Amino acid sequence: MATFPGRQRVARTEEMSRRISTRQAGLPAPRHRPALSLLLLCTLAITAAAATRPRYGGTLRIEIHASIETADPPQLGPGMPDLAPAFSITRWEAGRRAAFAADENAPGGRPFLDAVEVELARPPRDQAIDLDVGKAEMVEIPPSEARRQPAGRRTWVSQPVRVVLLDFGARVDDPRVREALALAVDRTAIFNVLLQRQGEISGALLPQWLSGYAFLFNAASDAARARELAAAVPAQARSLSIGVEDPALRPIAERIALNARDAGLAVSLVPQAGLADARLLEVRIAATDPARALAAIASTLGLPAPARTDSPDALYNAERALLDGFRVVPLFHLTDVYGVAARVKGGPGISPLGEWRMENVWLEGGRP
Amino acid sequence: MTFRTRLLVVFTLTVVASVGMVEWLVTRATGRAFERLENQRADFLVAQFQREFDRRGQEIVRAVKDVALSDAAVNVAISSDDSAFYNEASAMARAHGLGLLELVSGDGAIVSSAEWPVRFGYVEDWLTAPSGWKPGVAFLRREELPDGFTLALAAVETVNAGGRQLYVAGGQQLDQDFLTTLVLPAGMRVLLYRNLEPQFAPHLLAGAADTAADAAEFQPLIERVIRERRPRVATLGSGAAAETVHALPLTGIEDNLLAVLLISSSRRELVELENSLGRNGAWVAAGAILTGALMAAWATARVTRPVRRLAESAGQVAGGNWDVRVEVTSRDEVGQLAQAFNRMTHELVEQRQRLVQTERVAAWRELARRLAHELKNPLFPLQITVENMQRARESHPAEFDEVFREGSRTLLAELANLKQIIGRFSDFAKMPAPEMQPVNLNTLAAETMKLFEAQFAQARVTARAELAPELPSVSADPEQIARALRNLVLNAIDAMPEGGTLTVRTTPQGAGARLEISDSGKGLSQEECERLFTPYYTTKTHGTGLGLAIVQSVVSDHHGRVSVESQPGKGTTFRIDLG
Repeated sequence: MATFPGRQRVARTEEMSRRISTRQAGLPAPRHRPALSLLLLCTLAITAAAATRPRYGGTLRIEIHASIETADPPQLGPGMPDLAPAFSITRWEAGRRAAFAADENAPGGRPFLDAVEVELARPPRDQAIDLDVGKAEMVEIPPSEARRQPAGRRTWVSQPVRVVLLDFGARVDDPRVREALALAVDRTAIFNVLLQRQGEISGALLPQWLSGYAFLFNAASDAARARELAAAVPAQARSLSIGVEDPALRPIAERIALNARDAGLAVSLVPQAGLADARLLEVRIAATDPARALAAIASTLGLPAPARTDSPDALYNAERALLDGFRVVPLFHLTDVYGVAARVKGGPGISPLGEWRMENVWLEGGRP
Repeated sequence: MTFRTRLLVVFTLTVVASVGMVEWLVTRATGRAFERLENQRADFLVAQFQREFDRRGQEIVRAVKDVALSDAAVNVAISSDDSAFYNEASAMARAHGLGLLELVSGDGAIVSSAEWPVRFGYVEDWLTAPSGWKPGVAFLRREELPDGFTLALAAVETVNAGGRQLYVAGGQQLDQDFLTTLVLPAGMRVLLYRNLEPQFAPHLLAGAADTAADAAEFQPLIERVIRERRPRVATLGSGAAAETVHALPLTGIEDNLLAVLLISSSRRELVELENSLGRNGAWVAAGAILTGALMAAWATARVTRPVRRLAESAGQVAGGNWDVRVEVTSRDEVGQLAQAFNRMTHELVEQRQRLVQTERVAAWRELARRLAHELKNPLFPLQITVENMQRARESHPAEFDEVFREGSRTLLAELANLKQIIGRFSDFAKMPAPEMQPVNLNTLAAETMKLFEAQFAQARVTARAELAPELPSVSADPEQIARALRNLVLNAIDAMPEGGTLTVRTTPQGAGARLEISDSGKGLSQEECERLFTPYYTTKTHGTGLGLAIVQSVVSDHHGRVSVESQPGKGTTFRIDLG
């Protein structure tokens, strides 16, 4: 797990200077011929130190696939809201781009970057191209592309912080249908192929790294049992729709529909989750505290709020209670993966929860 | 119907029948020619489709082979981790212009599917089956897609690398887009029914402008081809909207019937041509019939003119004009007929003249015989009386005076008899022309009956008059009609020597009147009736035989008609009709 000491740029700069000074202080005494060599070494050392030294200036260009159409820039959630308070927004074009400028008076000091520009609604394929040709310094890498990255590509990867789950609506009132679908889903195939083994297979709401007990929740498929359950319900109940609003989840939903067909369930996919019998969505882990994270997930899904507890057993029971009845079926925990250009220094620019942390990032070629 | 009319009708019917037959033959021959042309077009289109089908198959084979030979396919084949390539087929399909492409591992599991990407891991048994597809050969296949089944023209190649095998199965859907690429002649269209469901489904008919309507129209033909698995040809629709449809079954590698190709050729041109031929034919036929009728009229007039003249001449001959002659205008049968007619009339005239002469001679002979007979009777007593008087003067002079007186009386009596006989002949010869005036036959009948009352009593004849009260007057000579009536009454009295009943009856006859005299005598035979009015013919032992001849002469001079009706044993009735 990455550790983040906080924004203490000044102290870190001083530390780096100290180290350089220490190195310089450790040099042998100059001689005549060796003096030239020493001079050369000093020059190289200074140059090397200058190259790794944080530099001010430059604009970090980030591309994301999400299209945020709100009139005002988002204030909550991962990504752009995390830039504050080091950066303040200077331009907002809904669904297209946003620009943030470094705040000279930010707590902890001015960031190295002068600005951050975020381009919205950029398809993953275009993001990869833009990163390759230098039009962007930071892009999202979807799971399907994670293993296709060129060798040496620098990535920032969060912990598994997005739980992909099936959320059944009230119309699917027969628990056998919900269980049949839960058992029909071949998570392993999806994980290996569609997710390219990025993240984790899970039957729990909280990821293993956060709760420590996620492995206790069954995530294995059982096609035979699924067929048995589906065959036991009336024919009209064997047809249901799944709403998928996020295009990135569409392949997973299609595979689920295929698995469901093998089990005897007729699943159709619709783009509007509100009209569907169930929905496939991802919920972001909002806190590093398991109890708070579980409560946030329950709140997001409209589930009963779990009791506040610090005990892992109690937390496990609370989560088990939430998942009883298969009203919610967790499938995977996904990581946030960003491809980063080589000229981006410092970082990582994201936290374990995937929050953007650009205060300690600078660009090669910026002002020294 | 006259001969000319009949001839005209026959000629006209012949012309109509001939023209109709020619019209029918032309229409039928043209229709057959167009049917042959239509079949040739359909055969051409079928061959064109087959070529296009083969060409597409070769394209697909080539594209699939290119995919199999590509480095990307080799990479997939040699990779131990299939999961990294699940999207590979889509890119390959796009790059090689394939609508369908699947990369399948040696064990039959799908590595990557362009048409159904999430179907990775599923097994395609048909690829690993020992029989079925052949490399380098395109075939039809029923392919499953996320939204159902489709019909595909597919090909398969294998990649063997690093000891591993990879199947490359690619193809194109046979759908509307495929059909639109076919180049079709005007008036033809191609439809494809994809036999992907157990029952006929209209949405599986590709290439139809109006799917619902066309599906309903083609359904019976499609179902028949599916059932019989043989090509069929049918004509659908009617009139100008009719189509000739060639339906061909298309089978897959497992000999399963996967589609029915429908090559439809509009019959509009044929129908329009037939209509045009019909219209033009009708005009031509009408013209021909009209011309034929005119020609027939002219011909019949020309043919029947001599016949008509013959008929008129024959009518004149029948009317008594035996001198009529027909102009001979030709040497044909009609001319020969005219010559024969002329010969016939000539011979008739000669025969009549001979007959008249013969009859005249016979009449004179009869007259001489009658005169001789009538005159001989009184002459014989005259001769005897004169001889008695001579003998008495010579032998008995004393008795001569007495004999002379008696002989004188006898001579005078016989001379009077002779005078009477001569008078009768003179009367018959001197029959005067009638002096016409209105005459009431009832009055004449009553007067005559009264005149004969004494004789009726003497002959024991009961006279009865049945006179119509509303009898119209007729124009007649009362003296001559009375004379005729008296003759008939005397005849009737003579016919009843044993007595009987005589009835005089008058009845109106239109504007004229009828007078009947009936007796209850012994009647006459048929032969006697026919000869009754011949002069000097009589059935009586006395009389000159001129009575009824006079009656007939009088009635004839009055332009009337006298007839007799009699049956032996039932009496005789004479009728006189006067206008």
